Amino acid sequence: MELEGKESRPMEKTGLSRRRFLGLALASGAVASVGSTTTEKLGQQRTEEVPGARYALVIDTTKCTGCRACIEACNLRNNLPEGQSYTDVLDRGDGHAPWFLPVQCQHCADPPCAAVCPTGATYKHESGVVLINEKLCVGCKYCMVACPYQARIFDEKRGVADKCWLCLEWVVKGDLPACVEACIPGARIFGRADDPDSEVGKLIASGRAKPLHPEFNTHPAVLSYIITEG
Amino acid sequence: MQTIWGWLPAIYLFLGGLGAGAFLAAATLEFTGKRYEIDICPITLVGAILPGPLVALGTVLLIFDLGAGLREPWRIFYMFTHFSSVMTWGIWILSVFIPLSLVYGFLEVMDTYPMVWERMGKRIPVRRIKRIVAGVGSVFAVGTALYTGILLSAVGPAIPFWSTSILPFLPIPMMPLLFLVSAISTGIGLTVDLSGTLALPDMQKRFRRLPAIHLALIGIEAVLLGLLLFTAFAQGGAAAQAARDIAMGPRSLVFWILIVLPGFAFPLVVHACALGLGRHPRLVHLGAGMGIVVAGLILRYLVLVSGIPVTL
Repeated sequence: MELEGKESRPMEKTGLSRRRFLGLALASGAVASVGSTTTEKLGQQRTEEVPGARYALVIDTTKCTGCRACIEACNLRNNLPEGQSYTDVLDRGDGHAPWFLPVQCQHCADPPCAAVCPTGATYKHESGVVLINEKLCVGCKYCMVACPYQARIFDEKRGVADKCWLCLEWVVKGDLPACVEACIPGARIFGRADDPDSEVGKLIASGRAKPLHPEFNTHPAVLSYIITEG
Repeated sequence: MQTIWGWLPAIYLFLGGLGAGAFLAAATLEFTGKRYEIDICPITLVGAILPGPLVALGTVLLIFDLGAGLREPWRIFYMFTHFSSVMTWGIWILSVFIPLSLVYGFLEVMDTYPMVWERMGKRIPVRRIKRIVAGVGSVFAVGTALYTGILLSAVGPAIPFWSTSILPFLPIPMMPLLFLVSAISTGIGLTVDLSGTLALPDMQKRFRRLPAIHLALIGIEAVLLGLLLFTAFAQGGAAAQAARDIAMGPRSLVFWILIVLPGFAFPLVVHACALGLGRHPRLVHLGAGMGIVVAGLILRYLVLVSGIPVTL
């Protein structure tokens, strides 16, 4: 099994990165062309592939059980090497009342990683997602140092920075990000931020879902949190 | 502990500062006319020749620290393009400063050993060109030294210790200022305390104001370092943790024994004695120079590893 995974991963990874670069760097044109084949199986949380759609991911820490299925699902879908992950689940609270804080790229509106990047490899996609153009990255790791959410990892094999890209390639086709799909207690709610009738839209509008550490002043644009009290 | 950037950045931040400081020391002697009191001035000679190779070596180390940029070197050119990044500004500053200091070194050698240039038959106005190069180069030397600090302070909230301000209520980052003063101090240590003392037995008598200037610089740097720790403490969180680790925690031994003692306490005593008693034992001055330079390197390493990420 180990061998099988190892053999298939690099091939998939190169396919992915090429598509990521060609498809997503071209922004809305690519998003629109990916298509109108909506998969109904995803129910309420389904996102529609409308050009100019902005996405939102609300993490409800009152529901998170710390099972870390999100990490596993993310690693599998993104073919990440052993020990590296786009998402982390931090232990919070004391032994009597533990709670868990899943952290990944917050897709900030003012991303410090993009500001410090000397090549402009990190950029903001119109969907609100922060992406990396791997063809431009020199691997100086400045973005990793500058991310206050410590959400970036380094791909040693290709020598480039890497991070959560909200599974954008699948999301534009109407699928869910891997972490959302895998979340057993339903602590991850995904949808369209620009749709006031969506569940995430309501959570954000009501003020129940708030950005994590707003004092960083990076204005997280995609992720927001319902934080366990106390 | 900060683990993303290892020990290599500490060396190239140090080399950038050392080169810039040595250049400024040489340029100061050039502009005050002190350089022309002797035919062969070891301070300007070393301060003009070494910065080019030193900063170039630092830049090569920087490139060796890259991932994809090292494997596909043409990607390095992308680093000139994104002006929102201070690293892009730094690359531009280095690209101007390195050739300028190489030219400065060449001109200083031509001026010191004029035989070759005179034999060429053409009277090139070496000194006039040298002054222009030293003047423009000084601006870029200050830029290089400041850049080594701005690189760290520009990360903002991610690493609170690196973006610690000068005073708790004064939102100007401390690192660029500290690294600039430290750069000049290490530059003087290399050109005056080491090269000058080695080559000129009567150096301290020739340049009477030098101990006072150096004493003031070391004093200012000590105050800045103290303020950095104080403000970091006052800031709380990860910055205070970093300051605690340095002043009294797991990194205190390195700080007090390898930075404060050789880089501040010893040179302060040496220069104060030189100033007050007029005594200039050569070996002691060499020791002070060595201490300042080595402490400059270790200070950068300490600041790098102490960059504890913000608590989430």
